[in-house]
Amino acid sequence: MPIALSRLVSEDGSLVNRRVFRDPDLYRIEQQHIFARSWLYVGHESQFRKAGDFLANYMGETPVIVARGEDGKIHVSINSCSHRGVPVCRSDFGNAKRFVCPYHNWSYTVDGRLDAVPQEKKVCSKLDKEKLGLKKVPRVEIYKGLIFACMDPSIESLDSYLGDMRFYLDCMFDRYPGGVEVIGAAHKWQLRGNWKLPVENQLGDVGHGPFLHGSLLKNTPQVDELEQFGMNVVPKAGHGVAVRLMPPNTPLDQCMWGADGIAAFDPEVQAYLLERQKEVAARLGDVRARLKPLTYSVYPNFSYLWGNNTIRISHPRGPNGVEYWSWWVIDADAPDHIKEKLRVNYTFFFGPGGVLEQEDSEAWSQQVIGNAIEVADDAPYYYGLGLGDAKLHPELPGKVSSCYDEHYARDFYLRWRGDIAIGLAEKKP
Amino acid sequence: MSEKMVSLEDYHRISQFYYSEARLLDERKFQQWLTLLSEDIAYIIPARHTPFVDVAKRGTEALLDLEQEISRGIDPPFRDDNYLTLSIRVMRSFKMNSWTDNPPARTRRFVSNIEAVHDGDCFDVYSNLLLYFSRYGQDNHTYTARRHDYLRDTPAGLKITRREVLLDWNVITGPSVGLLF
Repeated sequence: MPIALSRLVSEDGSLVNRRVFRDPDLYRIEQQHIFARSWLYVGHESQFRKAGDFLANYMGETPVIVARGEDGKIHVSINSCSHRGVPVCRSDFGNAKRFVCPYHNWSYTVDGRLDAVPQEKKVCSKLDKEKLGLKKVPRVEIYKGLIFACMDPSIESLDSYLGDMRFYLDCMFDRYPGGVEVIGAAHKWQLRGNWKLPVENQLGDVGHGPFLHGSLLKNTPQVDELEQFGMNVVPKAGHGVAVRLMPPNTPLDQCMWGADGIAAFDPEVQAYLLERQKEVAARLGDVRARLKPLTYSVYPNFSYLWGNNTIRISHPRGPNGVEYWSWWVIDADAPDHIKEKLRVNYTFFFGPGGVLEQEDSEAWSQQVIGNAIEVADDAPYYYGLGLGDAKLHPELPGKVSSCYDEHYARDFYLRWRGDIAIGLAEKKP
Repeated sequence: MSEKMVSLEDYHRISQFYYSEARLLDERKFQQWLTLLSEDIAYIIPARHTPFVDVAKRGTEALLDLEQEISRGIDPPFRDDNYLTLSIRVMRSFKMNSWTDNPPARTRRFVSNIEAVHDGDCFDVYSNLLLYFSRYGQDNHTYTARRHDYLRDTPAGLKITRREVLLDWNVITGPSVGLLF
């Protein structure tokens, strides 16, 4: 597999080879050197209120169990029996005391310790159960309720990994005293496509909004607002956030969370959101009280849509497959009937039945046709929009540019290239 | 016979209603389809998950109860449509820049297992739906669902006032569940 890295991603990030999205060897390196070495989002603290609460998730292609143990801590274990490898957790979520492997009924506590081996009573040599627990994911850290885990024990702290991304994450995850909560099971769907395209989309690709979604968004005040106040920010290469920074003294109802979508057409919802907005400046400061993010991604595969209240993970499933997971996130302090009214901002627009999501899925799935065209490998994809424009900003941390600048993607693919380079170097004898 | 049971004539009307509804949708006459809805319609597609089963339910039908795997209450469904949002979906379909609807899918709906009973001024109806979906060259999918409807009997004909579409997937393998089921 001779690969000139600069042919995969050019030095300035403005050209990305089709192979980046289809090559099975690169995909293998991604699994080993990105998914096994990065902080991956695995769940939200609100999903684990009691000991025994668990969630089945994936880290890349690896099935994991995320659970709150009897010790009160969040544990992440690989969902595969130490005996013959069969997954021991067979539900999406719930509250459990033990997981029992169907094959020989070895049983494990939710935090992954081996509890009982039925065959043990008839053999003379006893097992060292301490050593036969589910393989643990060694690092688990939480930022404002967001639980991340990493297979690599030597990774930097989550705080350092997120860097200035925290400033933007706080705009939702620390907006209100009660924080947010994730309600219900993940919505999951399969996409034909490469895992990086959904992530790239939410790093800051608002440039597709008025066009791919033109049937709903063309010539709307939302797009005017985006083009007037929108910016793409790279807080740290690989992470990205698209925001609207409203000018000082903008009326509160134009700065508040929850008004992107249709829920705030309801006067009761509008009044609730307005009341909530009054508290934001005291928590987050004047700048963030005027800041309305749109999309976020954290390297490699976590995304969040601020206006539509959904956390998503792009789970890789081979170079041409994605299993996309999406959760609804909501202001935890809101009364239930307000939550339910706000829910339409998610369900109508995003999730597997959402009108915008179906258009994104269409584009992401159709890209595989282009990725597969080997004779066009000398015609890489163009990522040069706004090249050289990004600058520091007086009010916002990170590199900032106009809303259609693709610097978020250039920085993502350059970081990706760096990780692939490490992978290729380590493969050499 | 239960007093809730519908007459053969009503059963015939209901089944004809479903067959013509299916044909309208397969022939992409979505604007005409909207006239079959009551303006207070609730159109819900719950999400479906694999629950952790409570051991206390073993040995009883409660162990396998469908309800425990369906999103209810505050839990987000896949879709939570009303007349306005369904109208927006339909309006979209007839725009040139509606990229998921142009070119349109070829669909074929099969409605079967119709069970109807009276409930006030409505018929409470279960049916099964098999929807074959084909788009572009080889992009073919089959959706199956249980539909639970309330059909209001009005002077202008039957109107759908509530529809719950229970899909038989956990991970959605079709391109979208934004279709009209």
